[in-house]
Amino acid sequence: MKIQRIGALLIVVFLIGISVVSSTLIRYEKRKRTQDVVNKGHYLVTLIALHSIRDFEGHKRAFFLRTLHEYTSSEGLAYCLIHDHTGNPFVVLDPYKLVSEIPEDIQMKSLYAVALNPQTYQTGKSGQTIYEFAKPIFENGEQTGTVRLGMMPAAVSLFSVEHIGLLATIAFFIFAMVPFVYYGIQLAFKPLGSLSMRVKNMIEGSASGDACVSGESKVDDVIESLDRSLNLLREKYKKLEAASIESEAKEGVIAYEKKQLRNILDSVQYGIVITDHQDRVNHINAYMLHLLNKEQGDVIDCPLGEVIENEEILTFVSNHEAASQRTTSRHIEVSLPELAPGEVFQVTASYLSDADGSVIGKVVSAKNVTNEKATERAKHEFVAHVTHELRAPLTTIKSYNEMLMDGEIKDAETQKEFYNTISEETDRLAHLIENLLNISRIEMGNLTLNKGLVKTDWLVKDCIAAIEAPAQKKHVTIEKQVPDNYPALMGDKELLEVAIINILGNAVKYTPENRTITFSLREEDHTVIFDVIDQGYGISEKDLPHIFDQFYRAEDPQISDQTGSGLGLATTSEIVQLHGGEIQVQSALGKGTHFSVRLPKEEYQLEKQ
Amino acid sequence: MKNSKKVLVIDDGAHIRRVMELKLRKGGYEVITAMNGEEGLNLIASQQPDVVITDILMPRLDGQSLCKETDHLKEKRPFLTIVITNRISPDDRSWINEMRDTQLMEKPFSPSRVLACIDEYFCDE
Repeated sequence: MKIQRIGALLIVVFLIGISVVSSTLIRYEKRKRTQDVVNKGHYLVTLIALHSIRDFEGHKRAFFLRTLHEYTSSEGLAYCLIHDHTGNPFVVLDPYKLVSEIPEDIQMKSLYAVALNPQTYQTGKSGQTIYEFAKPIFENGEQTGTVRLGMMPAAVSLFSVEHIGLLATIAFFIFAMVPFVYYGIQLAFKPLGSLSMRVKNMIEGSASGDACVSGESKVDDVIESLDRSLNLLREKYKKLEAASIESEAKEGVIAYEKKQLRNILDSVQYGIVITDHQDRVNHINAYMLHLLNKEQGDVIDCPLGEVIENEEILTFVSNHEAASQRTTSRHIEVSLPELAPGEVFQVTASYLSDADGSVIGKVVSAKNVTNEKATERAKHEFVAHVTHELRAPLTTIKSYNEMLMDGEIKDAETQKEFYNTISEETDRLAHLIENLLNISRIEMGNLTLNKGLVKTDWLVKDCIAAIEAPAQKKHVTIEKQVPDNYPALMGDKELLEVAIINILGNAVKYTPENRTITFSLREEDHTVIFDVIDQGYGISEKDLPHIFDQFYRAEDPQISDQTGSGLGLATTSEIVQLHGGEIQVQSALGKGTHFSVRLPKEEYQLEKQ
Repeated sequence: MKNSKKVLVIDDGAHIRRVMELKLRKGGYEVITAMNGEEGLNLIASQQPDVVITDILMPRLDGQSLCKETDHLKEKRPFLTIVITNRISPDDRSWINEMRDTQLMEKPFSPSRVLACIDEYFCDE
């Protein structure tokens, strides 16, 4: 393949050489023949003009024309015209019939010129170039005629006999020189080829860098310099490549971190808007978009005022700016009735700064604090209730005690009443504290049941004992209905006692005097059921769903006039639920209330115990 | 002079009503009691007491509403109001400061201090 290419190249070079040489030869030959024609034309026209006009008359004219034709045909004679003194052609030699094609201006110039340089024109038929020479004929000082001579150079042929040898010699010389020139070029450019190979290898990354490029020539020196430069370039390229890889890796990490940051911002449960230094929105997270009921494409690059259309927030953000508290974050609580009715949001504004401390934007966040506010309110209410419930018995104890100590109560009966009241209020305080502690433990998840075998006969007995005194005071009878075989259950006896006493205590408290309370125990489908049925004031339908709420107390004066914390049934409900049981309540105003506490027996665990 | 002064004790706690009734009677005052704000409001209108002792947290009508509804009566017939509460909040101080002849006392209170406060009011008068 390579040989074929070299052969083709040699042929092309050879042909180009021959073409150049041929072209040069043809141009030289043309110029030479033109010059010959001009010289001969001048000579012939001058020679003819030396003759008298009469020399061309009669038989002399025929002789002249024959002689001229025979001896000048090879010299390029095209035609010969001899005019008399009036301009009429006196002698016409026109072997190629060209006279009729002579342009008029040429003819006129020739007839009236004293001496002319040859005029050139081309014939219409063959396109042959004609050189016309003209000269007047004088006799005795008068012009008796004009000689006009047309000469045409012979066509130049490259392969004319006299050029064949020269052309062949030159062709042979060129043919012989082409391989040598090729070899010379190859030799001269071999180091460049090696260099090219090295550059190629370097680009492909497989260069050893040790390819020998040596030599004493200037080309070798240049190549060595190039080689060193390329080595330097290669090292720089490698460094740049490493830097580029590092840069790409960093960009990848940055892109990943940016994406992660966006994901984090989108996953947080509060709204975030980030603006640039011109207050145009740069980023907005999913929560905020949902809150504002907008699409991301509608808000990016928009002014903050067009995105958050709430004057209170915008005023807060701008006031924050005016205050120049750029390092601190403040907040306000706002409601957005049109976007989120009934909810409260805590809006925070803070500044974003670059390394120089220059402000580059703002972060506005909105957190839904409705639940926190409700919890806070509930906490305050709880504290207020607890304070109220604790201070009520304390106030009684303190004031009654003060009266006794000051000796203001003289009669024995009132003194006894006061002492009893102090005792009852102390019990009430203790009971309240116990309920508070239980509620607190339950809510904090710290109340663990100390389960054991609970003998229900003991439980019933202790519960009745606890409410016997207040019941007797009101002449309320406690009617006990228990089976012969008391069932046993698994549970925390102390807590179960608290739970049942709370129900029994309420029954006594809210039952008018001289009535009966039934306290019964029964077993049904592995469930132990305690029933407390009173003939008290009853609970209204409005109050019934709330009786297990903490601190809830009915507004009915018959209920609210009695001391109570509103914690008893809440505690009971929690304790029963911890035991896996349930409480059922039926009540009718003026008739009484029926509480059923149903507790699972947990027999399997009982057997294991 | 004391004997002509009438004190209304409004509290939903029977023990508080009882002890205040005893203490103030021994102090020489005529005492009437009410167990909630609504009943107290009626008694203020009908009995025209010289002193009203009231709790804040009460059923039906609380102490704050009671004071606000009766404050205008003090323009024609001034009387002392003693508000006794379990816990004094900044809000309580705020609205009590706007009332005429109204004092604040925190539970657990001393009956003697209440009596002294009433005595002092009438001495100044």
